Amino acid sequence: MSEGTIVEQARPLELQAAPGRRGRRLPFSPWHLVLFPTMLIMLVPLLWMLVTSVQTLNETRHFPPVFVPSRVHLENYTQVLRMAPFSRWFLNTLIVTTASVAGNLLFCSLAGYAFARIKFFGREVVFLLVLATLMIPFQVVMIPTFLIVKRLGMIDTLGALIVPNLAGAFGVFLLRQFFRTLPIELEEAARIDGASRIGILFKIVLPLSAPALATLAVVTFMWTWNDFLWPLITIYNEHNMTLQLGLTTFQGAHQTNTNLLMAANVMSMLPVLLLFFAAQRYFIRGIATSGLKG
Amino acid sequence: MRRSLFVLTVVVAMVGAACTGGGNQGATPTGPVELVMWMGYTPPPPVSQSLEYISLKKLVGEFTKTHPDIRITVRYTNNDNSLIKLKPALQGNKQPDITYQYGTNIAQLAGTPKVVDLTDRINSDASFDWNDFWPGERTAATAGGKVLGVPALVDNLAVVYNKDLFAHAGLPEPTAEWTWDDLVNAAIKLTDPAKKQWGLAFPADGSETTVWEYEAMLWEAGGDILNADNTKALFNSPAGVTALTPLQRMAQANALLLDFNPDAGKSENLFNSGNIGMIITGPWDLAAFPKANYGVQIMPSFDDPTNHQTIAGPDNWVIFDNGPTRVNAAWEFVKWFTAPEQVVRNSMATGDLPTRASVEKLPAFQGFDEKYPGVGTFVSNLQNVVKARPTITAYPDVSAALGQAVVKVLLGKADPKTALDQAAEEANGILAVPT
Amino acid sequence: MGVRRALRSDHAVGWALAFPAVFLITVFGLVPIVWSFVLSFQKTNLIAPNPPFVGLANYRALAKDPVFRLSVVHSLIYTALFVPLSVGGALALAMALNRKIHGIRLYRTAVFVPVVASTIATAIMFLVLFDKNFGLANWALEKVGLGPFGFFESVDGALYSIVAMTVWGWLGFDVIIYLAALQGVPQELIEAAAIDGAGRWSLFRNVTLPLLGPATLFLVVWSTINALQLFDEVYFLTRGGPLRATYVVVYYLFDLAFQRGIAGYAAAIAYVLFLAILALTIVQLWVGKKVVYYSS
Repeated sequence: MSEGTIVEQARPLELQAAPGRRGRRLPFSPWHLVLFPTMLIMLVPLLWMLVTSVQTLNETRHFPPVFVPSRVHLENYTQVLRMAPFSRWFLNTLIVTTASVAGNLLFCSLAGYAFARIKFFGREVVFLLVLATLMIPFQVVMIPTFLIVKRLGMIDTLGALIVPNLAGAFGVFLLRQFFRTLPIELEEAARIDGASRIGILFKIVLPLSAPALATLAVVTFMWTWNDFLWPLITIYNEHNMTLQLGLTTFQGAHQTNTNLLMAANVMSMLPVLLLFFAAQRYFIRGIATSGLKG
Repeated sequence: MRRSLFVLTVVVAMVGAACTGGGNQGATPTGPVELVMWMGYTPPPPVSQSLEYISLKKLVGEFTKTHPDIRITVRYTNNDNSLIKLKPALQGNKQPDITYQYGTNIAQLAGTPKVVDLTDRINSDASFDWNDFWPGERTAATAGGKVLGVPALVDNLAVVYNKDLFAHAGLPEPTAEWTWDDLVNAAIKLTDPAKKQWGLAFPADGSETTVWEYEAMLWEAGGDILNADNTKALFNSPAGVTALTPLQRMAQANALLLDFNPDAGKSENLFNSGNIGMIITGPWDLAAFPKANYGVQIMPSFDDPTNHQTIAGPDNWVIFDNGPTRVNAAWEFVKWFTAPEQVVRNSMATGDLPTRASVEKLPAFQGFDEKYPGVGTFVSNLQNVVKARPTITAYPDVSAALGQAVVKVLLGKADPKTALDQAAEEANGILAVPT
Repeated sequence: MGVRRALRSDHAVGWALAFPAVFLITVFGLVPIVWSFVLSFQKTNLIAPNPPFVGLANYRALAKDPVFRLSVVHSLIYTALFVPLSVGGALALAMALNRKIHGIRLYRTAVFVPVVASTIATAIMFLVLFDKNFGLANWALEKVGLGPFGFFESVDGALYSIVAMTVWGWLGFDVIIYLAALQGVPQELIEAAAIDGAGRWSLFRNVTLPLLGPATLFLVVWSTINALQLFDEVYFLTRGGPLRATYVVVYYLFDLAFQRGIAGYAAAIAYVLFLAILALTIVQLWVGKKVVYYSS
């Protein structure tokens, strides 16, 4: 997106306090005392899911809990894979999420910038109307939305999952808030130099906004990835199902096997996790990269 | 930023491609009639318990071979989600031709003319033999005097118990003459907190799963849910209190495993692993107990030793209107599919109870008991299905009120009389609203 | 700065940039909202055609509905706990994570990872973890002489268990937003303040916190909207129980519209919720305008 090296570690915000003020030094930073327990709390549910996913069904219902399964039952995973057309659902989900992320990044950047920086007629009212769409529960509007999408001839196609999600109020709101925190002086200088609004957005604002854009990308990805109610009502054909819909749909009543469910969960999380690690460095870039300040 | 323009182009192209794939597939004037059918009581293979799907596909294939003018696409749609999915489809005129529907959905579906009224078709065709279906099934397929569905599945509740746990506790196994007192005493003896062992599993989410188990007990005690014209709650009668008292006694003795999320299969898993003495359930659950040495016994009785009534949850095939050609084709299929010759083959292939009484006498039905151990008790238990839940639109609300009352007692928050009186007051309020 | 803006062209450019998103949001967001507003004046089960108009009857019924009142109370309790815990917790965590110490990448990863767990995955995970009889949580509590606790199965604890679970799930997201915002805090300001002899707390209070204002405002508004629309977790975990202890507004209206067939009434509930959220958001944005510092 922008030139310059990406520094993975943020520069500490607060200066390291001068040694004289700190008194006796611990052999390690005192922050570990806070961060280590936090890490445990955050990880335990996930680790437990991983453990359960390779247990037998009986081991998942044992007390005291079984920490080390009799054997790593990887067949839970193969059984889940055999259960359903996973690869097809995976591909569908990938198409839908990629398109939604791309649409949101582009359209929400444009709109977010307009709402943040350009004074145009009706700006406040339109912005509030956009925000208003966040305030009505989806469960209430899903039937009218269905009828609109149906009129567009998209029911039971991936289009039904993509087009309504190409831009959302969340992205507009997020980027507007972020753009407003950027120093305006840079943009004003560029304006004096005769740069167009769109030029400023793409050459100055967006390169500075990698953390916010990455956040929007991940959030959009997650929503599309997780959504189940909307695909449930718009998709009929198994071949057009997404991963989450497939999992939910095929998890019939009275046949819930905790270990298989956990295996399915782990698998559905893996791709997001990988993407997340790839994108993580964009969230926490050092400000050094911008090199545009001062 | 050229890259994002490229991405946009790809997006537009993909959306375009995705959009052209749609379109309503209907009858073409020359080709065969295309029907869409939603079914969803078990997922398609290769999931282990997909006997129903395999059997259905086989029969559909057979039908379309002898009826080349009809083509049927079977789509798996989880029954729990079927109504949620159907509502937008009906609003958008995208309804399938044939769907599997829970019996409790019939009253709501009765509100739309898109549901095909089958009354005349059934009455004008003597060979269809409507009265061959069990009375409980026929009631559950009828709303407002119209037959709106053909029975697709019938089940009923009985007590499934763990023989080993009974033996360990030195208890005699339940007999066909047993009473609720016997059950309560056994449940208390089977309970051992140290071993994480409970006498009886009972659903406590207050949903229809809770309510229908209680309703069977209510009928055994001689009570009823509503009065004859469905305008007033009767469940807070002395019979209602009698029916709720065993649950209260077991709850107070901590002999119940209360299952707050019954759809997640916790009770079934725990019964299978030998942590639970008894579970009130239907034939569909037996496949979930491969490790438990179980027996099946009919429901216990209260004061009247002959009253071992149970409750059936009959589900239906419902036909939706997509024009006369498709309706006729759909009826043609449903009629064929629910005829005794097909019902018996379906039962033998899946272990599901036969939806028609005559099937039990067919030679092809012999060997069912051996093939599906324990299911025989459920087949004969169909005789104990006397009453059905009211098929009125307000029933879900009445059920919700009643469910809260049962859960209150299970959690010790109220005694049976108070809880039922409150629920009855709530239900009467709902029933007073004109529909 | 004497940048002269040609007002007319600003209107055009502003609209041109905003249009694609606004158009999509209008078609797939605003139109359905208006459309289902009509439902709230009808008696409809979403199946029968030509539903009759009943005027304000649905809204009048709200006033007398004890279950609605209960759901509102539960939604408010949930929101009042969830928003400060998740946003405040995230702020503290982000401050702790925004430094260079050994293993910081591991810590950050641990905080972020729950974000990628889907709602369903999270719900199933906690169902197992918080199981009354077999769960890891009660095993740990037993070790220290507490419990067993009913969590999702107890009337008194179910709502708080959902708070705990959702805070766990959302914390990472909020931390990401804060860390992103911290990148925008000019280092010079901090250095200047530190040279002036400001202590750590006063640095945070007077420099960092005000600069995090826009992010905080965003998170508070967004979390409030989400909290008042809590649904998925309740749907997958408790179905509103036990004994309606987790009946929240959106679960109630979904139950009414899709399971019980009283969609007109459900729409009326949705519009009351809508107005409540709208009012709350306007207040939050208005307060935000007074206290939040923007660099423009």
